[in-house]
Amino acid sequence: MTLFINGEPYELNVTNLQEVIAHFELQEGLVVTEVEGNIVDRSQWLETKVSDGMKIELVHFVGGG
Amino acid sequence: MNDKLTIAGKQLSSRLFLGTGRYPNPYVQNQAIEVSGADVLTFAIRRVNLQNPDEDAILQHMEGKTFHYLPNTSGATTAEEAIRIARLARASGLSDWIKIEVSRDEKILLPDPIETLKATEVLASEGFIVLPYTSDDPALCYRLQEAGASAVMPGGSPIGTGLGILNPYNIEIITEQLSVPVIVDAGLGEAADVTKAMELGADGVLLNTAIAKARNPVKMAEAVKLAIHAGRLSYLAGRIPKKKYATASSPI
Repeated sequence: MTLFINGEPYELNVTNLQEVIAHFELQEGLVVTEVEGNIVDRSQWLETKVSDGMKIELVHFVGGG
Repeated sequence: MNDKLTIAGKQLSSRLFLGTGRYPNPYVQNQAIEVSGADVLTFAIRRVNLQNPDEDAILQHMEGKTFHYLPNTSGATTAEEAIRIARLARASGLSDWIKIEVSRDEKILLPDPIETLKATEVLASEGFIVLPYTSDDPALCYRLQEAGASAVMPGGSPIGTGLGILNPYNIEIITEQLSVPVIVDAGLGEAADVTKAMELGADGVLLNTAIAKARNPVKMAEAVKLAIHAGRLSYLAGRIPKKKYATASSPI
């Protein structure tokens, strides 16, 4: 399926948000997720199903003042 | 003497808030943080670079240390965007403090007062510990306090300029008027600027570029730490009034 992650299309073979995080090998404790404009808590990743065309944002802390 | 800064019930061990952007490398950054004594560190929230996820993942360099995290809403141009970033930051589970930063013009990065006030109202009502970065306007700073800010952070001059405190009169009025802590944020360029901010009655300062881009960031971090101490003591001691004519200090 095609997922729009951080504004870019990705062809991924995944079923839930947890697998999206795993696909990109992200450090779980450091990433915050937003699906279709709604923040999804880390504890809900496994049960958050993803489907074709969904918009997902993956953000984290970076250096700043 | 217990002269600690307390914000929203949290007693801090330092009056320095330190930014984490633009250091030459993580090693120098960590050294500068350590020498500065700061326990509040600021961060920005950005999209993960999916081609290189570890590239900007700043927290991986800070494992094993306990700091108080102050994420900012930099990049926001409206209250709505700032509110979204604040909610994302809180979802990290790392902090419910938020530095509101809303700018419309990248060239000057001065805060948008109307949007900053709106975001402060909303986020304070949602239970965030809100620290708005704002222009040095006494009336606006007072309104931010009324809107629920836990501290107010007027800028000395535009972010990253190193121009110091352009309007010391306003900063002094603000520190006199507000009952919440005042943190002078942005534009400070050297230790003398930091001392001046503290002498004007600021409860703390927030620096990033002045330390990160100094020729020697670690030395500047130490200078700033000492400048805060000197400025705070000078403020508490109380300066003499300025006069036009001499008064002999030796007996005549």
